[in-house]
Amino acid sequence: MADSPVADSLIKREPEVPAHDPIVSRSTSGIMLICALLLTFSLAWSLYDEAVGQRPWKGIQQQFVARYTRYLDSIRPRSTEGETQVKESPEYKKLEEDAKDAREKVQPEIAEIDAEVKKIQAKLDAVTEPFQNQRGRLTVIYYNVETGGRSKEKYRKQAEEKRKEVVDVEMPADDGPGKTTVVKMNYDALEKTYNDLREQKAAKLGRKAELLKEPSDLDKKRDDYLKNHLTLLTPSQIDSVKRSLKSFDYSILGHQISVTDYNIADRCEVCHLGVRSPLNITAADMAPGGPGKTPDGMARAFVSHPNKEIMDVHKPDRFGCSSCHWGNGRATTGEEKAHGLNKFWLWPMFEKENTEAGCQQCHAKDRVTQGAETLNLGRDLFSQRGCVGCHRYEGFDRETDALTNTRQLITQLEDQITANEKGRLQDSAAATDAADDAEAARYRSHAESLLLTNSLLAARIDQMTLQTKYLMQDQKKVGPNLKDVRLKLVKEWIPLWLKDPQNFRPGTKMPTFWRFEKDENGADEIKAISAYLWQSSFDGKTPDQQKGDVNAGKELFETKGCLACHSIGEGDSKMGGEFAANLSKVGEKANFEYIVRWIHNPRERWAPYCPKHKRDLTADDYKQAGKLFLFDTELHSKCPIDGAELQVQNMTVMPNFRLSETEARDIATYLFSLAPRPGYESASFMDDPNLKEPGRKLIKQFGCAGCHEIQGFEEEQRIGKELTVEGATPIERLDFALSTQDAEQGRDPLFKKMYPDRKETEWYNHKGFFEHKLAEPKIYDEGKEKDPKDRLRMPKPFLKDEWRNALTTFLLGSVGTEGANVPKSLFYDPQDQRRQDIQNGWWLIKKYNCVGCHQVQVGQRSILMDLPQYTTPEGKDLLPPRLTSEGARVDPNWLLRFLHDPSLSGGQTPAAAPAEQNNTAAANGQSANKYQLQPGADRNGVRPYLKVRMPTFNFSPNELQTLVRFFMALTGQEDPYIKEQLDPLTEQDKLVARQMFTSGTPCLKCHITGEPAHDAKAIAPNFLLASERLKPEWTFRWLLDPSQISPGTAMPSGLFKRDGERWVVNLPQPPKEVNDYHGDHARLLVRYMFLMSPDEQRRLLSASPAPAAATAAPPPAAQNAHAGNWRGGREVRWFKPEELGKNPSQGKVAVPRSRRTNARAPN
Amino acid sequence: MDWHQLWIIASAPDNVPIVAMLFLVPIFTWMGVRQARANDRLIVELEADPKVAKTHHRKVEPWRPGWAKELHVWPYLVRIEFLVTLIVTIVLFVWSITLNAPLEEPSNPNLTMNPSKAPWYFLGLQEMLVYFDPWIAGVVMPSIIMIGLMVFPYVDSSPFGNGYYTIKQRRFSLAMFGWGFLMWILLIVIGTFIRGPGWIWFWPGQTWDHNAVVFDKNVDLHDFIATSWIGKSLHLGFLQTGVGKFIFGGMVVTGFYVLGGLFFHWLMTRGGLDRFDRSLPLMRRLKLWLTTRDEFERKLLSRTSLLQYLTFQFFAVSVLLALPVKLVLRLALTIKYVWVTPWFNI
Repeated sequence: MADSPVADSLIKREPEVPAHDPIVSRSTSGIMLICALLLTFSLAWSLYDEAVGQRPWKGIQQQFVARYTRYLDSIRPRSTEGETQVKESPEYKKLEEDAKDAREKVQPEIAEIDAEVKKIQAKLDAVTEPFQNQRGRLTVIYYNVETGGRSKEKYRKQAEEKRKEVVDVEMPADDGPGKTTVVKMNYDALEKTYNDLREQKAAKLGRKAELLKEPSDLDKKRDDYLKNHLTLLTPSQIDSVKRSLKSFDYSILGHQISVTDYNIADRCEVCHLGVRSPLNITAADMAPGGPGKTPDGMARAFVSHPNKEIMDVHKPDRFGCSSCHWGNGRATTGEEKAHGLNKFWLWPMFEKENTEAGCQQCHAKDRVTQGAETLNLGRDLFSQRGCVGCHRYEGFDRETDALTNTRQLITQLEDQITANEKGRLQDSAAATDAADDAEAARYRSHAESLLLTNSLLAARIDQMTLQTKYLMQDQKKVGPNLKDVRLKLVKEWIPLWLKDPQNFRPGTKMPTFWRFEKDENGADEIKAISAYLWQSSFDGKTPDQQKGDVNAGKELFETKGCLACHSIGEGDSKMGGEFAANLSKVGEKANFEYIVRWIHNPRERWAPYCPKHKRDLTADDYKQAGKLFLFDTELHSKCPIDGAELQVQNMTVMPNFRLSETEARDIATYLFSLAPRPGYESASFMDDPNLKEPGRKLIKQFGCAGCHEIQGFEEEQRIGKELTVEGATPIERLDFALSTQDAEQGRDPLFKKMYPDRKETEWYNHKGFFEHKLAEPKIYDEGKEKDPKDRLRMPKPFLKDEWRNALTTFLLGSVGTEGANVPKSLFYDPQDQRRQDIQNGWWLIKKYNCVGCHQVQVGQRSILMDLPQYTTPEGKDLLPPRLTSEGARVDPNWLLRFLHDPSLSGGQTPAAAPAEQNNTAAANGQSANKYQLQPGADRNGVRPYLKVRMPTFNFSPNELQTLVRFFMALTGQEDPYIKEQLDPLTEQDKLVARQMFTSGTPCLKCHITGEPAHDAKAIAPNFLLASERLKPEWTFRWLLDPSQISPGTAMPSGLFKRDGERWVVNLPQPPKEVNDYHGDHARLLVRYMFLMSPDEQRRLLSASPAPAAATAAPPPAAQNAHAGNWRGGREVRWFKPEELGKNPSQGKVAVPRSRRTNARAPN
Repeated sequence: MDWHQLWIIASAPDNVPIVAMLFLVPIFTWMGVRQARANDRLIVELEADPKVAKTHHRKVEPWRPGWAKELHVWPYLVRIEFLVTLIVTIVLFVWSITLNAPLEEPSNPNLTMNPSKAPWYFLGLQEMLVYFDPWIAGVVMPSIIMIGLMVFPYVDSSPFGNGYYTIKQRRFSLAMFGWGFLMWILLIVIGTFIRGPGWIWFWPGQTWDHNAVVFDKNVDLHDFIATSWIGKSLHLGFLQTGVGKFIFGGMVVTGFYVLGGLFFHWLMTRGGLDRFDRSLPLMRRLKLWLTTRDEFERKLLSRTSLLQYLTFQFFAVSVLLALPVKLVLRLALTIKYVWVTPWFNI
């Protein structure tokens, strides 16, 4: 074979391979083995990475289980101890006994029922299967009947037979277990037996449940008692938690919060396992070395949520975690990713100090968000420190926005009237030319309808015009009116102030315009601006004033309530609020006369501004129109030339304290005594007319008119960027300028200088941008080569660290719909009137700083509360009233009148007060009064005994309504309020009530009566006010336990005690008449108070044992409405409530216009 | 020198392949060249033997004496390929474990990222947008390149180089492919390492400053000439009229094709410098190289059909020459377009 060439060619030949050809001869086994091993290793690695590397949370969960178990073990003995204690208490034992008895009582019957049910069940089991089989077969046959067509009849017969068919059922016999009897049944019998048995069973079980109800309720009562009396969990609860840890679910899905509606899938609790634990876990509890040891990072991750209340409102099952905190809720592979701190994640978790930014996301419309103190502070600062002067923010500066809108609307309506008028003329013409009568009639009717429309439009314009008046009344500026600089300020002081306001008055709202201090022409710019302000100011002279009494001024300043907004003193001796300016150095800068005028009535404007003519009106304008130069918010608010509504007040939130001129003078004297005027360098350049124009340009560029009223800039727009959605600005659009590199690479020269101890971190993020911008606005301008007009303009505000953080928080959360990581449907947008009323009210409460004097909300502290003079027990009685339950306490109609006129004087000016002539200045022969006495001068309407004065804020009707609705909504009052009718008093009732009034703790010992001698020591309001001021239900609750409504009140508690269903006076030996009265004593007293008359009060006073002076007969003057009342050496006018204008019972909310007066023409 | 910046670019997971390519391309080129040069030496040896000289064929003899001339695919090639498969799999495993996918934020239609870069393999195309009209750079040029690559085997008339590396026998084709490949890689490298925010030219080590500004005023060639000193003195203002610039651009482009064709025709027959006596001075050899044709290359050319020749010329001038010429015109002379028509711009 080998010889054959054919065969030879068929033989498979090994290639002629030389032994030393490396491709052929070299073995690849070695390298192949290494590669295979490497491949195996990398495969193993990938599996490990999949199981462990990508699941770091598994180890964390194991740690949690271990540490939590250890913690539970550590608290179990204490819990057992507590449980034993509770269990040994007689109450528990009684409950236990009751439960046991109840159970034993029903036990026999239950046993019986159980036995019967067992029997029935056995029968039911026997019959169920045959019945169901037969029923199934029948159903098939009936289906065939329905669809059988021609074979219908056949099937029908079949069904008939099936129903009659008899089957054997092995029924258990009644007489013993295991025995059965065979029963033959057709379908109907089967069905009946089956149903009967089921009914019987249900009836028995129902009876059992009924029997068990009482024992179960008692069991629950007992268990609840135990739970409520243990601070920790009960041992059995702890054991059950521990058991659940034994079968802990080491997975993601078991700990994932999934909210499909909002596309939330949060896996935060995969690691943060203690967030919703029933126990409050602290980091120390979970420390690696055992409870109480030093916690590590992981221990801090296991703690419970610090704010359970917030969690109750924002249930994680509905909101998830990342909705509020941000971060990447889905990530589980590491801290950085889960917290969204990696690059490109758009919602990085907020830093701890900025957590409340998450609230702002949804609560952007709120002015005050409960529980978000940092955020609320941020909002306060944004509006109060004047950020809003340059930066628009939706919702802030509402009056200016509304005013613009209203004016636009008026213009539109006027245009429409013109258009309608034209249409009417066209229609009339068309009617004349019409082809037939029908067409003519149609044109005429259309023309007529246009006429009517126009009258409706005109009515709307009237309303809008009235609104402009109100809005102008409510429109305020953050800074003072610079039209008054000539009247108010020392000329030479102005440039010094502009250069460095913080130097003159540390902490002032006026920010530092850093470009003045640095730029080469900064000094020239200051000169130009000062010159413009000086030359464009009102020129005139405020009436001369003599110096007053420094000590009296100091007393007034410290007691009238000035300190609620203003501070005084510097450094450690600083005292008072930060809402308004520090007044220590007023004397260095201001004219005494102007300050007196200002204190007397800060709203008093020098000249009215007409928005239509865009200028301040002069006395000449009035003269030409034949009118007196008189303007106020009431009857004289219209332009004498064309009737447009005028700005007649200073745009300040500072209210009118209704001080007498003497008092104003004393306060001013006191303020001026604090800082004598230093010598200033001459500033004659301010009269240089050439500087005026450059000054105007600079004022425009720097946006001074955002905070100040400046002549020529009344209609100026804001110059800053709108910040409503600033937090959502893409990071690329935030201009870090030359700091970009530093920010990205974690170099931070600015903060390193400010906080040498702090570690430098990367700050190329929103937080970093805002913080640096707020700390040093020029940072993003430094080193840039730009034309001056393109340079950054934001001045440097004075901000404490805490304030800067609050503002940063506010801005970080300002992300709008686009930037939020939750859908808009999750935003807080209350539809109910109550919540809207509350938020609307907060804007005003904050605007006028009501919280400086009053506690409006539980837990909030007013500025006055923390002043030393009000921290003593006596001082506390002199604080302004708490308003936490104001809405429940007072009649809204009364509140409206009170807020309009807190003196309750009905707009009356006291007759020439003799005291004015008696004061020291007058006695020295100096002319005293330059200003008219104000309505309701120098008195509080409700609490004349308080030194603190409730000032007149001159609210517009809009604001009055809003405030009243706020207080009503805050306490959930019904709207509208309908006054409760009280039963009239019988003579017997009166007798009993009088007895109660005068015995034990006599009411009139503290309450004001209107008798000067008596009232000198009184510290509570007059009963005569009660009926129109208070609500009976609240008064009733107040009588029972005042300290619950207003802790620390001087009103004694425990005046009444419970006697069955009624309350009786709590006296050891009540007078006989009282004892014989079988109604509710407290309710009787309420009725008596509400039906109190002056005569009745006098009668009581004569019977009342305290104070000594009160026993004297009332002076004849007390009969008179204008009774004199000597308090603190000063005479105060005191009016009777029935004289206060309208009859309160009519319950009208609107305040008559004639009473909204307070501004007076200066000259 | 901003090392941080360089590190950021080089360490970005997107850029791993291009960084790897910076090393892999030279290594594999060097390996290929080494083998080719060894083969070339063998070819020279073989050519010295008159018996095999006629064939010029490397494959008539084994690579080394006593070695096989040819080997079976199985198992010799397949096992090497299998080994490579293993290694690549390992690399991919480790790569995927250690580097995560470079995901960025969800797209925001209101905000384009800066710089906006294509994936690395498209960065060459994107870089071409700097030099050409989008229509040319995005559609025409890529199509020509792809069709050109498909056509290459068919315009190659040389029988040499099948199954072995050689430079000597495939000088021109290697040079042309190498040039094209290098250019492509170069564009990608520019796109990755050089182009920063605003697609501005940042030298390696320069910080990519988002606020950086450059003055870049590009003009069309006809404007460039018409407004230049020469154009003014020769009164060439008519070049800026609609018809003027159309005709002018057309002429320039046609001229470019003619000159380019002549250039390639000349280049085809140049051969290597080593065909001249090495003892001659370099300048002399260079002069000879420029002026005399290589017989071997001439023979190869004569085997080429007219269709093959013209096809090659078209693709060579349109891509291999046009691209670098335009690149230089743009970067050095700030020329925007050479030929401006209402329908397309070149």
